[in-house]
Amino acid sequence: MEKEHLKKVIECIIFVSEKPLSIQRLQKVLPELKRSEISECIEELISEWNSLDRGFRLHEVANGYQFRTNSDFSEEIIRFKETKPFRLSRAALEALAIIAYNQPITRLEVDQIRGVDSTGVIGVLLEKRLVEISGRKEVIGRPFLYATTSEFLETFGLRSLRDLPSLKELEEIEASFEKPLQGLDA
Amino acid sequence: MDSPETCLVKVQAFEGPLDLLLHLIKKHEINIYDIPVALITQQYLEYLNMMKELNLEIVGDYLIIAAELGHIKSKMLLPKPEDDDEIEEDDPRSDLVRRLIEYQRYQEAAEQFSRLEALERDVFTRSYEDDTADDANQLLTVDLWSLIDSLREVFKRRNLSISEGIQFDIETVTLDERIEEVTSILISRKEMRFEDLFRKNASRLDLIITFLAILELIRARTINAYQEYPFGPIKLAYAGEHVAWKKNT
Repeated sequence: MEKEHLKKVIECIIFVSEKPLSIQRLQKVLPELKRSEISECIEELISEWNSLDRGFRLHEVANGYQFRTNSDFSEEIIRFKETKPFRLSRAALEALAIIAYNQPITRLEVDQIRGVDSTGVIGVLLEKRLVEISGRKEVIGRPFLYATTSEFLETFGLRSLRDLPSLKELEEIEASFEKPLQGLDA
Repeated sequence: MDSPETCLVKVQAFEGPLDLLLHLIKKHEINIYDIPVALITQQYLEYLNMMKELNLEIVGDYLIIAAELGHIKSKMLLPKPEDDDEIEEDDPRSDLVRRLIEYQRYQEAAEQFSRLEALERDVFTRSYEDDTADDANQLLTVDLWSLIDSLREVFKRRNLSISEGIQFDIETVTLDERIEEVTSILISRKEMRFEDLFRKNASRLDLIITFLAILELIRARTINAYQEYPFGPIKLAYAGEHVAWKKNT
């Protein structure tokens, strides 16, 4: 198949796909093609769409590819959709971060880091499908283990878990605290 | 009228005791490795009192840290051991400090998450008519309590008491047999009202077995129970292959 033609084929499959479209899925539709050929086409599509500088772009997200609008136009789209924009409380974001960097993890372990019960916020995360129960820990009581989902990657526009913003080194955190004040010691 | 006590508000400003402690440390520009425990404890308790006056919910977790602060303070009052090398390890504050730093780390990570471009807030994809769009047309799935309510209705209509003891019937069917029966009825009928599945003149035990069969089939997702509108009659429909029960035929 000629390459320009092939790119159009891939492009329209991505266009109609409900979820980010993975290369594996594309390979099922186009079995005669090598993986490298498909990803080459996609790379070209991404840079072409991006250089067009239109209202939406082709993104790599959640181990797949998806057309997404540019963030510059979020206000107008929210007005059009008449929906409330996505929102997570600070507590829920905290719990989500703890789960994302330590998965799979039990609720008790999340509680220990936060110093406060996380049952409610984990419930919110489960409901929004940002996390899921991935199994049970083989300790007394066999508590549930939580892990992030593909929806989590989609929500935050991450390609994969390797794409998580790097967790600050402890030394950096320590340095962020102010220098000591004299004469306040107990 | 509700008494003011029942009107508790979840603290929005502080997400927990560690968050409050970090706030105090930053506010007073304190070196986290040399926390003045007396000052911090006093401040911490002042905040708790304030929260109490504002009628904010103080969960037990706040009190646990308060107790821990008191414990550290009392330990600090004890004379320090002479051996210099041991002082680092023996600092009663070190455990709390480690927790605070760890917690701060995830607070910053959460901060970073919130700055990422979020779907349905900053960026959008092509949307499909699904769960959110046409709520009104969606079938309401039924919970266990509604099913039990419907069973009570069936009992009532047939003048059968709910709490009456079970009368043993010679010709009772087994649960497995009834499951088979209900499944085949639903395959042929596609959809039917919950109460129509209960045979006329059926005994109480018979009704209960039918009910259990329905529950089992719902659990196995062989059938769906739903209402077309809130408080409408419960309907049952065959949902797919009844793999779990095929081996019995």
